[in-house]
Amino acid sequence: MHTNAAIIGVGQSAYTRRPQPGQSTHTFIRDAVIAALADAEIDLREVDGMAVASFSLAPDAAVDLAWKLGLSLRWLVQDTNGGSSAMNMLGHALRAVETGAASVILVAGGDATGLGGYAKVAANFNVVTQLHLAPLGHGGPNGVYALVTSRQMKTYGLQKSDYGHLAIAQRAWAAHNPYAVYRTPMTMEDYLAAPLVADPLSRYDCVPVVAGAQAIVVALLIVVVEACAVGTHGVDPGDIDVASIYDDYPTMVLAQLNDLGMIPGNDLARFARRDIGERRFPLNTWGGMLSAGQPGGPAGGLNGISEAVLQLQHRAGARQVEGARLAVTTGYGMTLYRYGATAAAAVLERLE
Amino acid sequence: MNRGVAIWRCVKCRTGFFPQRLLCSRCHGDTFEQDRVYQAVVEEISTIRHMLGQTNWQPRRIASVRTCDGQRITVGLTDESEPGTVIELFEENAAPFGAAKK
Repeated sequence: MHTNAAIIGVGQSAYTRRPQPGQSTHTFIRDAVIAALADAEIDLREVDGMAVASFSLAPDAAVDLAWKLGLSLRWLVQDTNGGSSAMNMLGHALRAVETGAASVILVAGGDATGLGGYAKVAANFNVVTQLHLAPLGHGGPNGVYALVTSRQMKTYGLQKSDYGHLAIAQRAWAAHNPYAVYRTPMTMEDYLAAPLVADPLSRYDCVPVVAGAQAIVVALLIVVVEACAVGTHGVDPGDIDVASIYDDYPTMVLAQLNDLGMIPGNDLARFARRDIGERRFPLNTWGGMLSAGQPGGPAGGLNGISEAVLQLQHRAGARQVEGARLAVTTGYGMTLYRYGATAAAAVLERLE
Repeated sequence: MNRGVAIWRCVKCRTGFFPQRLLCSRCHGDTFEQDRVYQAVVEEISTIRHMLGQTNWQPRRIASVRTCDGQRITVGLTDESEPGTVIELFEENAAPFGAAKK
């Protein structure tokens, strides 16, 4: 439980499926940083710490980015844990602020690989992928999570349409998010008619890769006007008002919710059909990555945190969940062979 | 093409691994010897119908299989094997493939 540090601002760049000349990972992160600092009403000169994660910053590293942003820091972290980087960086930043290592920390993530660049990242993700998976034509993470989805369907008695409830509900939320790359409402007919990508995954089960970035600002509560505290103690799954669950594939949303104890009786099918299909539980209210887009794994955890903050500060506009006080956010990533190897979660609380 | 798939067996506790590890996750032994597994049972299958960055992609089948030694590995399937099929394993360079046992 962190009682002296909080998230005080969130921001993002535009998201685009095809970055234009002149747009890069660096410029997207810059745009997100500017937006987050404006949201926090913090001047760049007050920032003394930064954490960053990206698959496409190289050959630059965190210190190069800090220099190019004109920052002078006493605390700097670069995280390489993909989809759970956001949660890791948030934890590091909170502890750094609470221990006095820094007072105002920017946490940023973003990517701008383009679709061809992403294909190269996917085929060369690690040595095991290069040696044992890519030569099979495994399709990158789509192939890995196709097999994971089949396994989950068999274990929990799920139908293809059960995953559709998640994709459709998130698309409905995305209609109210001007940053989402896909906002047109989707029906179950649309979902089931979509072309297969890697059986049983079809188009709407696979997260669309976009170029973009997210940033949040973490600071000591003493400088905070409106903020969200972060903790994990004393919260029952039933207390959660809104959830941002890392959604590169619907199968992983259900897996994480189940691991968090948020699916009664481990009945994934009932949860998908009733709680999501009947809109009883607000999940990924910005549209999730499945509709808003995935700006690389690292920023793909930060967008969930950002949405949770907006919900808890009651600033989510047409997406607002009435009276939201507690949110859970997760990150999941680093597909090392047959599944992702890193997972993390945080509970965010509205400060009254 | 080589018959079977290479695995790495801990010389201390005899647990077999694929892919290769640095230390045994069971006993933390640091010495492995190479062994081979020749058969597996297909558990899940996917057909990769689309590949980012490829325009003339031909669908390929992959499968999660359980080897006769207990490892779960991902293989390329070169035939129409379905879940439950016993397959023979082979490798091209370091990549594992399989087809129904004849």
